[in-house]
Amino acid sequence: MKLLRRTLIATTLWLIPIMLLGSFFVYFMIEYISHEETDEFLTYEMERLIDYHEKYNNLPEFSTVAEIIPDTKYNKPVFKDTLLLEPGDNEMVPYRELRFSIIHNNTDFAVVLRHLLLGSDDIAEGTIFIIIGLLLAISLSVIILINLVADKIWKPFYATLDRLKSFKITEPLPKFTKSKIDEFETLNLTLGTLLKQLADDYRNNKEFNENASHELQTHLAIIRANTEKLLATNQENEDNIPPITKIHSAASQLSQIQKSLLLLSKISNREYSNISTVDLQSLVKSSLETFAEAISLRNISLDTTLDTCFIDADAGLAGILINNLLKNAVKHNISNGFIRIELNAQCFSVANSGDLFDGDPSAMFERFSKGEKGNTGIGLAIVKQICELYEFHIEYSIKDKNIHKISIFFRN
Amino acid sequence: MKVLVIEDNPKLLEAIAETLVSEKYVCETALSYPEAHEKIFLYRYDILVVDINLPGGGSGLDIIRKIKAHEPSTGIIVISARNSLENKIEGLELGADDYLTKPFDMAELVARIKALLRRRNFMGSDKISMGNISIDTANREVWVDNNALELTRSEYDILLFFSSNPGRVLTRESIAEHIWGDNMDLADSFDFIYSHIKNLRKKITSKGATDPIKAVYGVGYKFETE
Repeated sequence: MKLLRRTLIATTLWLIPIMLLGSFFVYFMIEYISHEETDEFLTYEMERLIDYHEKYNNLPEFSTVAEIIPDTKYNKPVFKDTLLLEPGDNEMVPYRELRFSIIHNNTDFAVVLRHLLLGSDDIAEGTIFIIIGLLLAISLSVIILINLVADKIWKPFYATLDRLKSFKITEPLPKFTKSKIDEFETLNLTLGTLLKQLADDYRNNKEFNENASHELQTHLAIIRANTEKLLATNQENEDNIPPITKIHSAASQLSQIQKSLLLLSKISNREYSNISTVDLQSLVKSSLETFAEAISLRNISLDTTLDTCFIDADAGLAGILINNLLKNAVKHNISNGFIRIELNAQCFSVANSGDLFDGDPSAMFERFSKGEKGNTGIGLAIVKQICELYEFHIEYSIKDKNIHKISIFFRN
Repeated sequence: MKVLVIEDNPKLLEAIAETLVSEKYVCETALSYPEAHEKIFLYRYDILVVDINLPGGGSGLDIIRKIKAHEPSTGIIVISARNSLENKIEGLELGADDYLTKPFDMAELVARIKALLRRRNFMGSDKISMGNISIDTANREVWVDNNALELTRSEYDILLFFSSNPGRVLTRESIAEHIWGDNMDLADSFDFIYSHIKNLRKKITSKGATDPIKAVYGVGYKFETE
């Protein structure tokens, strides 16, 4: 949800309880004021009547007061609320009443004054009108103000966000526009520091990988070249051959391992960022051609169901993913075994026969998990790393202890 | 044939030079960018073997640019420890003919140089014959005397690899790397190399030739014709 929309909704929601409280306040305020005014009016009226009596010694006319009751005495004036039946509407109507005494010709007379009060339904009606009017006015101004003001205030924030979204680690660091708002300026500065750190780490890691690789492979090349020479010159001397061969094969294996580790490191350093739409079907087909001879030599039966499947990934990494899975299925197979490959838009799975295996299949994805037969055990670790990079879900299952199946579910 | 090897590591440079000299090439060497730069403008070479990482202010890629402008017919083989695709593509786009990732076996380098020479002067030189076996590299055909041999892709590749390195001991790793490249670890679990060689021998001897492939115990194989 957009920041502005969210602000609007939250503000409007907060208006509801405030308005509810406000309406109670308005209701009681109107009621209080109307009582006060009525009491004031009745008091003035009482004073006028007492003055009149003192001046002319005459009781007020019956028609100008509510009641005059003889022989009743109040020590002081008494206010009272009362309900009276209004014959015209035939309903009970609230009245304010003031009773006081006047001594006329040595007899106590109680005078009763009454005045119509505002009914609670009238007050409620007024309250509702006031509140609705207020609500409309406030909402309208809130919407206009938030849109106008917030849009302007948040502008630098959105600019920063845009820069961040289009940022690529291989490109120069983004320049954030200066903001007069402290928080945004802090955000920009912090982001700048973080991105610089990130870019430095990325570059250092990349350089280290390249340098380590270059030095290591060059020296391995020297070892191999010289063992080759020793092999050529020591052919008569059979005792020397096995150790030389061991050096040669250890050197070639070391370079294989180093290449694989370099690949893993590059994947986790996210150096493969050249994303395009990759046709997995044709990748699988061409990878199968590479292994066709190996498959037929071991008399392995191949069963493929290949539908079209396109994923967004680095073409090189997608190739490595497919290649490693197929190579794995060929390499760990048995003579006269089988390989079943299925590809559809959601999933790629390779099942193959293999040696009996009792352990935990997920351990296969760990680096160096299988050192026997000279396997480095990095192939599947690379597969796992690629899957993690693209958020593909990967599963390894073993059926009947010798049918291995690896499935990769693509993100949709 | 005159070859210039440009490589910044003196030990590797020496190993490469010795191998090329033993193959009867005239071999010159350069250890840095300025040295290589000077040599390519002073002399004419048939083939340049060039490393990408060089000291002295320029890279192997710069050397390729220079030689392509100055002497475009020179064959170029890049040797690099940078196993990155961008580097490979850049090198090939600049006009390099082949790209070899370190570490490589000398047998592989020799095979690549010979293949490049065959492609460069292909008038009459795309045929190789050893004893009574002849290979037509343009059409990927193999003959024993006048009988054609039906070989699989790997068998053909292995035979051509042998023919580029007659008399040299080829380890199983070299052969596996030559035919499968990065997938060479496939050979770990099955004796694919052994199967291929067995089939290759069978096909050659069935046409009446003597078996030219000698097993070198515990190491690999050697190709020898009378």
